[in-house]
Amino acid sequence: MKILVAVKQVAALDEDFAIRDDGRDVDSDFFIRDLNEWDDFSLEEAVKIRESSAEPVEVVVVSVGPDEADESLRKCLAKGADRAIRVWDTCIEYSDSIAIARVLAAVAKREAPNMLFAGVQSSDQSFASTGIAAAALLGWPHAAVVSNLTCTPGANLAVFRRELEGGLLHEVEIQCPAVLTIQLGINTPRYASLRSIKQAAAKPIEVLSLSDLALGAADVGEAGSSSRVRRMYVPDKARAQLIEGDAAQQAARLAQIIHAFKGAAS
Amino acid sequence: MARDPKHDILFQPIKIGPKTLRNRFYQVPHCIGAGSDKPGFQAAHRSLKAEGGWAGINTEYCSIHPEADDTHRLSARIWDAGDVRNLRAMTDHIHHYGSLAGVELWYGGSHAPCMESRATPRGPSQYASEFETLTYCKEMDLDDIATVQQYYVDAALRSRDAGFDIVYVYGAHSYLPLQFLSPYYNKRKDKYGGSLENRARFWLETLEKVRRAVGQDCAIATRFAVDTLYGDTGVEVENDGMKFIALADPLVDLWDVDVGDIAEWGEDAGPSRFYQQGHQVPWTRFVKQVAKKPVLGVGRFTDPEKMTEIVTKGIADIIGAARPSISDPWLPKKIEEGRYDDIRVCIGCNVCISRWEIGGPPMICTQNATAGEEYRRGWHPEKFPKRGTEDSILVVGAGPAGSECARVLLERGYTVHLYDTAAKVGGHLNSVVTLPGLGEWGYHRDYRELQINKLVKKNKQSQVALGQKPMTAETALTYGAEKIVIATGSSWNTDGTNCLSHDPIPGADASKADQLTPEQVLEGKKAIGKRVVILNADTYFMAPSLAEKLAVAGHDVTVVTGVHLANYMHFTLEYPNMMRRMHELHIKEIHNAFSSRIETGRLEVYDIFGDGSKRTYRGRGQLPREANKSQRWVEFDSLVLVTGRHSNNSLYTELKARQGEWQKNGVKDVYLIGDAEAPRLIADATFTGHRLAREIEEAKAQLPLPYKREVAVWGTAHMPGGNFELEYKT
Ligand code: SF4
Repeated sequence: MKILVAVKQVAALDEDFAIRDDGRDVDSDFFIRDLNEWDDFSLEEAVKIRESSAEPVEVVVVSVGPDEADESLRKCLAKGADRAIRVWDTCIEYSDSIAIARVLAAVAKREAPNMLFAGVQSSDQSFASTGIAAAALLGWPHAAVVSNLTCTPGANLAVFRRELEGGLLHEVEIQCPAVLTIQLGINTPRYASLRSIKQAAAKPIEVLSLSDLALGAADVGEAGSSSRVRRMYVPDKARAQLIEGDAAQQAARLAQIIHAFKGAAS
Repeated sequence: MARDPKHDILFQPIKIGPKTLRNRFYQVPHCIGAGSDKPGFQAAHRSLKAEGGWAGINTEYCSIHPEADDTHRLSARIWDAGDVRNLRAMTDHIHHYGSLAGVELWYGGSHAPCMESRATPRGPSQYASEFETLTYCKEMDLDDIATVQQYYVDAALRSRDAGFDIVYVYGAHSYLPLQFLSPYYNKRKDKYGGSLENRARFWLETLEKVRRAVGQDCAIATRFAVDTLYGDTGVEVENDGMKFIALADPLVDLWDVDVGDIAEWGEDAGPSRFYQQGHQVPWTRFVKQVAKKPVLGVGRFTDPEKMTEIVTKGIADIIGAARPSISDPWLPKKIEEGRYDDIRVCIGCNVCISRWEIGGPPMICTQNATAGEEYRRGWHPEKFPKRGTEDSILVVGAGPAGSECARVLLERGYTVHLYDTAAKVGGHLNSVVTLPGLGEWGYHRDYRELQINKLVKKNKQSQVALGQKPMTAETALTYGAEKIVIATGSSWNTDGTNCLSHDPIPGADASKADQLTPEQVLEGKKAIGKRVVILNADTYFMAPSLAEKLAVAGHDVTVVTGVHLANYMHFTLEYPNMMRRMHELHIKEIHNAFSSRIETGRLEVYDIFGDGSKRTYRGRGQLPREANKSQRWVEFDSLVLVTGRHSNNSLYTELKARQGEWQKNGVKDVYLIGDAEAPRLIADATFTGHRLAREIEEAKAQLPLPYKREVAVWGTAHMPGGNFELEYKT
């Protein structure tokens, strides 16, 4: 059995940051990068399946991203992934989640796993669509926001639960291969020991280009995307002020502000 | 990140007499245990604050003459040219960073026992110190008054020569000028006693004389307790307090105001257990109604919002701080740079103060392990040497010692894994902070937690693994760390082992339903009955804190104590209000008594001094005194055993036992720090973690490196050009 786990190196903002010159994203100098929080859980779920299985299970992590993403892939290797694949080509930049899903679907075709796990969403973009889009492109059954999973390797069926409104639980059976997006809290992700971190540092990471996946420049980047970021900005902060003084003074000040706001002479 | 513009006001310069403070952050005089005898310590500790942005930095109280000799406590002294030379190191180093140096000229009256000088202190009237034991002063006649005022003038001139910019006439904390002002001390009938004008005369004349001597070159400050908190038997702010300020205002360039006296100076240096930030404001807010000169106020200000409010609301012009400047010498700089969450907030435990109260060993701080170590160990609070090796380090235990060790190792660039069974950084502090009044102690944990999380983001190989299974020796050995630090803390004894018998107490067993350890009380899982007895052999806060907690919850609490209950709280200035609290809550104390055995529902109690007073040799196997027959039974529904602690060091001992396997597992060394090595103050546990992190490259890093000592050197006289030889007057 093979489980492919799609992971993302997300960007968190540093205390101070600036918007890029083109106004469409934060200047990447201000990013602190780390593995997406949800992906810790989907990786742990895959590793747990391997550990509890009698038959061999291979856990392969894949990420679409530049060199820096190796750091997150190594973290996954330290926490128990067997292999890591990174796909990159400069034309992948500016891809939306559908274009990224296209790349992941191509990797899934090449690897032919029994299941593809993805986090419910990424903490930086929060579209919650990459995993589901990959399922659509692959034509596989899928389920989103999985909070409990039972899967016997070799059975070709997985049973999972989802939490619904009003405290209801939804228990569903799904035919493999399938795509599941995994929710936070489904398990307790493990920490890597220093030994496994050191071992992961020495493991190879397979790097694939678009041509390795039979994709072209038109499939990714802005060309292959269905949406486009227009601008990213910090909204004006609402302003608040404390009006001090006795009731009469406060009323007078309030009237003054309202006049000024309406543009009337006070 | 830039600072919030609303804090700009804290960075406006302000003129004080002939000098200008570059901003509104001011380290008021406070003791550190350096004085004039440890000039390196003095210079380093104070100038680090100048580097950290404090605009004015003072000595501790500085004696003007051998008649003000506070031995056994440690003051600075400016008695002679030898002291001038030594204090010059401090002023030079402060000036290097563009700050002003101040000296707090002090004369103690009978509060100075003169145990070194054997001089006779003088005072406004003859009285026995309520603070010292067995110390009376001589009532001053008019010649004495002129003489002592000249001491101030001469000391002021020496201060100027030593490079001080601000010269104080120190009248807070019940020292001489206030003794004249307060009818509590001053019973005179002449022109120095009686009416306010008369009682103020000594202080005003002294200010005038000092001003005449050095006022051209130095700013003249006075520290004044505007309310001694005794009502009209002392100084009341809305009465003599404000009147005195009006009288003295033309003679000072800076008012440094506080409240309280010396015997209970915890009302000024308020511990967080009883007082919050800004607790003196209800008294000191009156000062600016009268004073035309800049005013500085204290009150453990650590929060820039509160500081800004103090200045903008006109309560004070300058933020005075002692403890916040010890806990974070770079507080102003961090505010200036907008690094608000990097501020190491003073927790208000008063452990710094405890050292002065104990008699002047070097100051320590619970939050800032580098306090007092600046000169002798060369530790800068904000700068760390880069790591010396590529070793990665496993720290087991995220309590005060482990988290500090991990923080400093991370600052140094090491790869660190911090590991704990608890879901939160902080170790035993996480439960200690739930005790009455100790919430602010949590800042110790918060600072480390936040810094470690920031640092771990920078070093991707590092991590904080919380909520883990207890670490076994096997896991630790094979973890892949070159160095392993064990910081597994300590626990309270479950069998009554104590500092009096050094043995368990028969029948003591916290696994029984009606006996509890402090941890079990704090955990809240075990039922506690109505009548609680706390059996105590610990000298710090645990027994009184638990007594308070349980009494508040409605239990009848009796403390049976074989040691001086809460003794260390005398030193942290928490004692008086702790005792008041125990009275309010009707907590009974059976003191000088301990337990010889425990049965279900009752313990046998004996008087410590219940055996015979005559000691005679009675032969082998015989006690030299008449046997203790004071035993009686005391009943309880629940018994809390606060008898002693022991280190949780089994992981360390197991790893030591497997030393033969270290090498093949790549383990170079294993260390033991904090309470796991020996139970101690949080400040000292924190220190051991910090110390190891700084010295971990050493071949035997478990043992501290020697530090640079500052002692009198044989062959060198204290007085420049003086004689050091043995000589007798014959
Ligand atoms: S010892 Fe305690 S009270 Fe003193 S400065 Fe440090 S944290 Fe504050």
